Amino acid sequence: MSDPTATQDLIKGADDPAASPVAVRGDRRSLWRDTWDILKRRKIFWISLVMLILFLLMAAFPTLFTHKDPEYATLAKSMEGPSADAWFGYDLQGRDVWARTIYGARTSIIVGVLATLATILLGGLTGVLAAYFGRWIDAVVSRVGEMFLGLPYVLGAIIILGTVAPAQSNPGKAMIMAVVIVVLALLGWPILMRIARSAVIQAKHQDYVQAARALGAGPLRIIFRHLLPNSLAPILVYATITIGSYIGAEATLSLLGIGLRPPVISWGIAIADHASYMRTGAHALLFPAAFLSLCVLTFVMLGEAVRDALDPKLR
Amino acid sequence: MGRYAIRRLLQLVPVVLGTTFIINYMVWQLPGDPFAGRCGQRPCPDSYVTAMREQFGLDQPILVQYWNFLKNLFTGNLGTDFNGVSVATQLGDAWPITIRLALMAVLFEAIIGIGAGVLSGLKRGGFVDNVVTVATLILLSLPIFVTGYLLQWILGVQFGVIEPTVSDAAAVPELIVPALVLASLNMAFTARLTRTSIVENLRADYVRTAVAKGLSNRRVVGIHLLRNSLIPVLTFLGTEIGSLMSGAIITEGIFNIHGIGGLLWRAINGQDYTIVVPVATLLVLVYLLSNLLVDLLYGVLDPRIRYE
Repeated sequence: MSDPTATQDLIKGADDPAASPVAVRGDRRSLWRDTWDILKRRKIFWISLVMLILFLLMAAFPTLFTHKDPEYATLAKSMEGPSADAWFGYDLQGRDVWARTIYGARTSIIVGVLATLATILLGGLTGVLAAYFGRWIDAVVSRVGEMFLGLPYVLGAIIILGTVAPAQSNPGKAMIMAVVIVVLALLGWPILMRIARSAVIQAKHQDYVQAARALGAGPLRIIFRHLLPNSLAPILVYATITIGSYIGAEATLSLLGIGLRPPVISWGIAIADHASYMRTGAHALLFPAAFLSLCVLTFVMLGEAVRDALDPKLR
Repeated sequence: MGRYAIRRLLQLVPVVLGTTFIINYMVWQLPGDPFAGRCGQRPCPDSYVTAMREQFGLDQPILVQYWNFLKNLFTGNLGTDFNGVSVATQLGDAWPITIRLALMAVLFEAIIGIGAGVLSGLKRGGFVDNVVTVATLILLSLPIFVTGYLLQWILGVQFGVIEPTVSDAAAVPELIVPALVLASLNMAFTARLTRTSIVENLRADYVRTAVAKGLSNRRVVGIHLLRNSLIPVLTFLGTEIGSLMSGAIITEGIFNIHGIGGLLWRAINGQDYTIVVPVATLLVLVYLLSNLLVDLLYGVLDPRIRYE
């Protein structure tokens, strides 16, 4: 018992695969539309969205939150606890912890977002190429990916950063951040490569790709118009969560003394600077740590909300 | 099975070679003189640098150096560090402590993670499920060092329940809190994985059959459901042993434990690459071999998986 109109639709759809994204805009519901409908009913999504906006505001306009100079130090106030004057107290150098925490958001978010973008570019590109062309390209990319995965994360970062920018060296502000971003991407790309690769391999044998190829579409067109848009969902979800984990990783590296370092203001540096003063001034350690965790939580929560909405069977 | 194992082992060879080459290359060839800071405030005399470069073979081309490294690795000769102390002795002292720490962490992951996952998966949407979901979300977003400092501050400094740092002996009771910290992230992953797996398998036909046969709830869950649901969890725990070892670098730093992580950490800071390379190689080997073992174990645990 087949519905005649449905069959007609099918035939029409098969006729002109390039037109399908336009047709979706009409009555039929797209994946993204469904996702949005699920998302907007979920509390966790709205909570993480509000937190995300707060953190982005903090990063873009720190003066909205504090009028104090994060570099201004009064040594007499070193390690003074929280008061009405300085909500989070003063750090070892007598600088305002609240101001430094606010200004730290910018660094963390820049590093997290840029490192994720670099990971997507590197991992996504290699993954798509490996899956699309297969054969020896696939073999080489997969093996090289395994080599980088074989280097455990912290270990790899320590080795690269310890040699490229050892603790004694003193590169400029932008340079320090760039090195950390490159290292994070360099160690993180194989995971994204695998995600992109499996997504493309799954999509590769779908009818619409075969149809596009039959119509004479070249590899570039097939990859960018057909394969990528349909493999975007898993990459997007992973990217959101990755921003969070990269922010945590940046702080970890800074803590070890090989990631970011002054004059950059970051949560990781603040934590590293005060780790050995836990008994006398835990505030200078715990407040940045709290902001760091909240920021990571925001991205992880957002990514999970999107993932659950995209793929309801996981719940 | 045997052929598959051999093929996997052979596939491992290029990966091991590649990874160790990357380590060697990055440590020895990237700019920065390994002997720059070894003479205090003044630059090292040329005679010293030349002698050291010759002693550690740095004057040879990278491929020759790499070949020598491989040769030494397979003959078990790890050499000495820049101060003339045997690397093998230092590894021998540090290794048992890290193994103890990692094993305890895996134990915590398994007991707490699987327990929480099973409880929340069986009653989906219930109170326990919500608590576990929120708890794992929080654990996932706390970097390990935050958890570490927090526990150290609360338990060690505020309440004095534990000593904030671990003694040289690193006995089992002292390692409980560090192991929990080390396990925290993977514990959350384990709980989630177990939950997903249980939820999926609850709908499976064999569970329905078992219930229909009139088996007791205990038997259905304990024998039929758990055994099948734990396969992916076990493989996860196995693959993570390797990364636990390198995660131990941070935990060992916070609690001042003299294990592999601490050794590596001091070597990096002292720019003593003669220790860095063997330790890193060892960690990579453990990581790759545990991955391989897990892959092979998968086939034993789940006969549906066939190796061609």
